[in-house]
Amino acid sequence: MNEVLRQVRTLFVSLRLTVVLLSLSIVLIFWATLDQVHLGVWAVQQKFFHSFLVFVKVGDLRFPVYPGGYLIGGLLLVNLVSAHVYRFKLSWRKCGIWLTHAGLILLLVGEIVSGLVQQDFQMRLDEGETKNYSESIRTNELAIIDATDPKFDDVVAIPESMLAKGLVVQNPKLPFRVVPKLYYPNSDLQMRSQAPGAPASLATQGIGPMVAVTPLEVTYAEDARNWPTVFVELVGPDGSLGTWLASAIPLMPQKFDFAGRSWKLVMRPQRHYQPYSVTLEKFSHDIYPGTDIAKNFSSKIRLNMPDGVSTREVLIYMNNPLRYSGLTYYQASFDGEHTTILEVVRNPSWLVPYISCSAIALGLVIQFMIHLVAFAGKRRRP
Amino acid sequence: MSSRLFIAGLAAATLLLAGCGEEKVATYRVPKEKDPELPMAAAADSGAQGPPPTGPSMADTSVPTATGADLTWEAPPAWQRKPASAMRKATYAVGVAGGESELSITAFAGDTGGEFANVNRWRGQVGLAPLRPEDLEGAVHRLQGNGLAFTIVELVPEGDPNAKSILGAIVPFEGSTWFFKLTGPASAVEGAKPAFIEFLHTVKAP
Repeated sequence: MNEVLRQVRTLFVSLRLTVVLLSLSIVLIFWATLDQVHLGVWAVQQKFFHSFLVFVKVGDLRFPVYPGGYLIGGLLLVNLVSAHVYRFKLSWRKCGIWLTHAGLILLLVGEIVSGLVQQDFQMRLDEGETKNYSESIRTNELAIIDATDPKFDDVVAIPESMLAKGLVVQNPKLPFRVVPKLYYPNSDLQMRSQAPGAPASLATQGIGPMVAVTPLEVTYAEDARNWPTVFVELVGPDGSLGTWLASAIPLMPQKFDFAGRSWKLVMRPQRHYQPYSVTLEKFSHDIYPGTDIAKNFSSKIRLNMPDGVSTREVLIYMNNPLRYSGLTYYQASFDGEHTTILEVVRNPSWLVPYISCSAIALGLVIQFMIHLVAFAGKRRRP
Repeated sequence: MSSRLFIAGLAAATLLLAGCGEEKVATYRVPKEKDPELPMAAAADSGAQGPPPTGPSMADTSVPTATGADLTWEAPPAWQRKPASAMRKATYAVGVAGGESELSITAFAGDTGGEFANVNRWRGQVGLAPLRPEDLEGAVHRLQGNGLAFTIVELVPEGDPNAKSILGAIVPFEGSTWFFKLTGPASAVEGAKPAFIEFLHTVKAP
């Protein structure tokens, strides 16, 4: 074996690496816990754990200063698996250790997978309302809607991340190109009449020319959200149709006609449609008698199946979510007496922690029993 | 050898997973939706104080909740002022013999879709059919006072004293539109009507 490879192997199978990585992760968790005061849970997860490197901002520059959760977790995984492959031998006496380590590997892989693919949405329903989509809590989309058909809307939804990168969108459903000109991840809007000194707007169509935009610092606070604003130019075959302003701050609907069709342009929370729909039948907010203390929140919903015929009634309450079609609906919040807010989570690996923890526990019990039996056998012998 | 193979496999899997995050333009057809006209106005109307889209940053967001000069008013001492919310200029609990109703005061930049759309939005909230444009004049009362033009809308379904009712006034002021909206059971709204009209006379520019 090549000397370099041998060194790499020695590094990856070493227990020293395990100890270093565990120490690094202790510091990471401690630092992240302290930083949670400033950033809130979600941003801390993104900055420290769902990242390969932790960056620190100095002035306008960002420097990587510490390994992030993915790097430490990934290396731990490599370390664990390499040591396993290199050192361990398959024998009945070691089967408990095998099972424990397999559980640990599964736990690490499951966390990486859920970090990469988990999606969180929200569904806000008034009593009697039916929806077949949930909305993203943090990301937005620019929806360009062909509203010509009296029965249907044809929607082209451009994710905010593409607008942020300034990617030009040419979609077969649109008779024009969408060219993002300027994007602010967080902003405030004012009517131009209220902000006489504001610089001229890029927008030439819709409400844009009447609005002054002030870019704001991106917020990570848990109780605040960002309000992105984008200027997009629509370019048809014969040249520009004009530039529109779209903002996550709800504005009056912006409508225009082009190529014999009626269009609407709106920036809204990113939507996630399902082939079935959910109707809120009743929202209940129970309190302990004679007090204002909340006892229970529950949403009685009707699940309207994709076949359009069958329905199912479900009561969603704390610790009793609805799991259907890969999504989990939790009772998250409410708004007034008749509006529920459900958290909708897609996490294909939600079962992994349960399976891996069971495997670890079972492995430890087996290993302990093997030793116990051997020890007891030895003692019995004179 | 096996550890080398494994590391190569792991690197490939990581790359594959990292590739999953790429977002794409989505196209789809959905049954026609009601126009989300003035979601902020609707949210304020319904007393939304909760999570998104009513983030705290909305408190200083000037497009939906109009900034600029505020109208002033004098509420009767019997009306109980409720805690402020980001979406409202003020909220009062209005109690009369017929029951309790709530007065919400909101303001939004622009004409918020126009008087006709707003009257129909309120009609929808109390379960009344929308008006035709030519019927609008017959369904509202106009009132002038303190240099302001009030459009008063009385939406009290007949027959049921508990039916949800609205007595509202729409006031354009310096490029924004103010809404004074009394909501409650029919008997409470009816009972509070004289005081509400009296109150509108106290509304004036600063």
